[in-house]
Amino acid sequence: MAKASKMLSFILASTLVFSLAACGNSTNDKKGDTASTEGAKPTEKVAEKVVEKEVKITFQNIYPDTTDPKNQLMKKLVTQYQTEHPNIKIELDSLNTDQQKLKLKTQAASKEVPDITIVNPAAQMKPFVEAGLFAPLNDMLDQNSLKDTFQEGLLDWYSFDNNTYALPDGNNIAVVYYNKELFEKAGVQVPTTFEEMLTVVGTLKEKGITPIAIGEKDSWTGSFLFMNMLLRTNGPGFLQDVVDQKKTFDDPAFKEAVDSFQSLVTAGAFQEGATSFDYNAGENLFKTGKAAMYFMGTWATGGIETSSVNGKVGVFKFPTIGGKGDPNEFMLAPGSAFAISANSEHLQETKDFLNWFMLNFPKEAFTAKGAVGIGQVVDGDFKAAGYSDMAMEVLGLFKEVKGGDLAFDNTMNPGTAQVHLNSIQNLFVQKVEAGAVAKEHQAAYEANNK
Amino acid sequence: MNVLKVSRLTITAFVLPCLLIYFGIVFIPIIVSLYSGLLDWNGIGTSTFVGLDNFKNLFFHDTIFWPSVRRTLMFSVFSMAEIPIALFIAILLRRYIRKPNFLVSSYFLPVILSVVIIGQLWKTIYNPASMGGMLNQILIVIGLESWSRSWLTEPAVAMYSLYFVALWQYLGYHTLIQFTGISNVPTEVYEAARIDGAEGFKADRYITLPMIIPIFKISIVLAFIGSLQAFDMVMVMTGGGPANATDVISTHMYNMSFKSMQYGYGSSIASFLVVVCLIATVIINYIFNKLEKRFS
Repeated sequence: MAKASKMLSFILASTLVFSLAACGNSTNDKKGDTASTEGAKPTEKVAEKVVEKEVKITFQNIYPDTTDPKNQLMKKLVTQYQTEHPNIKIELDSLNTDQQKLKLKTQAASKEVPDITIVNPAAQMKPFVEAGLFAPLNDMLDQNSLKDTFQEGLLDWYSFDNNTYALPDGNNIAVVYYNKELFEKAGVQVPTTFEEMLTVVGTLKEKGITPIAIGEKDSWTGSFLFMNMLLRTNGPGFLQDVVDQKKTFDDPAFKEAVDSFQSLVTAGAFQEGATSFDYNAGENLFKTGKAAMYFMGTWATGGIETSSVNGKVGVFKFPTIGGKGDPNEFMLAPGSAFAISANSEHLQETKDFLNWFMLNFPKEAFTAKGAVGIGQVVDGDFKAAGYSDMAMEVLGLFKEVKGGDLAFDNTMNPGTAQVHLNSIQNLFVQKVEAGAVAKEHQAAYEANNK
Repeated sequence: MNVLKVSRLTITAFVLPCLLIYFGIVFIPIIVSLYSGLLDWNGIGTSTFVGLDNFKNLFFHDTIFWPSVRRTLMFSVFSMAEIPIALFIAILLRRYIRKPNFLVSSYFLPVILSVVIIGQLWKTIYNPASMGGMLNQILIVIGLESWSRSWLTEPAVAMYSLYFVALWQYLGYHTLIQFTGISNVPTEVYEAARIDGAEGFKADRYITLPMIIPIFKISIVLAFIGSLQAFDMVMVMTGGGPANATDVISTHMYNMSFKSMQYGYGSSIASFLVVVCLIATVIINYIFNKLEKRFS
């Protein structure tokens, strides 16, 4: 009897649990229903005419910061599109860059790429393309002649075998931002050669001013600067030459770049403890007027404009090293780009949306004052629209670009890139023979290209 | 089985859900990652089976791996060395403080705080004096300027700075565990001992220590496994830098799997970690079983 009653109570208990779970489900369902009817209400008439199926598009993006103009313009465009197409619901998945990279890799491993996602150009997106995860966008680029809105040659970084797989939101170059007030205080001029730059660093240091701010905990920042020095000592295309086996890392130009980089470090150019500053902390040193120079891609322009040093900042091109190099060759940074999942349930709808989104992107970015360094042609007078002097200076530099190089991790496979990033970070904390750095690079390259 | 006087069916019905979940989130992933450790796979595209190549590279060619193993093991040794100190504090608290609960809770506080917060807090403390670092400023004020340095970015000291933070955070945790252990020793035993003339530290030596060996073991196992898996604090404070000087096994694994996109290789590091954890647990259990037998 006791056994039977226990059995009974067990059954009762389990029914209770299941009914609770069922309750949970039904409330969820109801919520979903009301939400969708609410969404459809304002446009009921349109919906009656054309009965279309409900479409949900997931839009993964890297604009989580609500103060960022790009976040605002994305939300504006998405809302507008949803009102015009009531059957389409666009779900935003906003993450910061590193989180997004990680999430996408995890999703890709289980073949669950969101309808729209973000990738980086060239070598970084190659594994995804080779795995067949992205849909080619050629047909969509011809639609409404979207292709013509992009700067010439930009889409090449996102194309493999004549198929374009992603559409970039930006196209930046690397410049040196400098704080005019601090330069004046130390009595120094904008350097035109690397040797002058070292003297400037020395003078600034004597006056107790941090010469260059850098966020080297995120090791790509140092690599970006190093690659610009390599661009001066070697000229463009060094990494490509390594890939084509015309050169090895044991090249005099590479070693000269390493030595020059070390001379900056030994001159005390960077803030103390630079390797523990992440990207934002490093940039903040410059934005709060604590550092005199900041080497970064032009995407930083918007952030500097909204900071306390706005109005005191100018830009200059990275100088020649030992008389070598052309200052008009820049580190090129074709931006992160929107790609569409090949397995998207609503491929056509997603393509239509992205097409419309990109067509409107330049205009909206221009009005949101976020158009410096976007990848598309912008009609409009920047000066009249109230862009700052610094933004105008940056735009001026864009016109002088005569080619250049991509960042290391956009050219080399991830394995080699990781070794490179650590190797450069190491230069910040200890003196290393240039030959040893070259050897480390070469070994990593060979190990990752078997 | 039947001491509980319930049918096997009932036992099965109640145990099964937990067992399934446990299998699903512990055993199956371990097996999957053991298998991925045998692949040359970037995590996305097609994978090729390479047998033990990953392990060969790991053990013989990876210049980062063994130093990171050394750092991880040092970390465990330090965390285990901390436990006697925690025990000592617990004994003092029990003996000399009338209402020790408040103190124990205060010591426990850092454990509740998120590692990210602790990491940021200590990063600011460790900062160079020019950036307002507290530790360096104190050193300068008391005239030890030559001792001041950038604690997190000098390869020689960075790792020790990290150990210290972890030890600081978990001291309260282990103190709490030991304190509870001591409190559970029946007071009659001490009273009896007092009659026999054993008081103070003598009582501790012959009563407290033998009686809390099981609790001591829990602390040791927790400290050891916890430090083998150390990841979050390293990631927040140095990210394994400068130049891998503070990489531990798990950060190396993360860098390989996700940053270098060598998922197979990363999985082989994970397998290594699992095996080390298992072996360590077995060894610790063995030692403590002996100890317990000797003292009981």
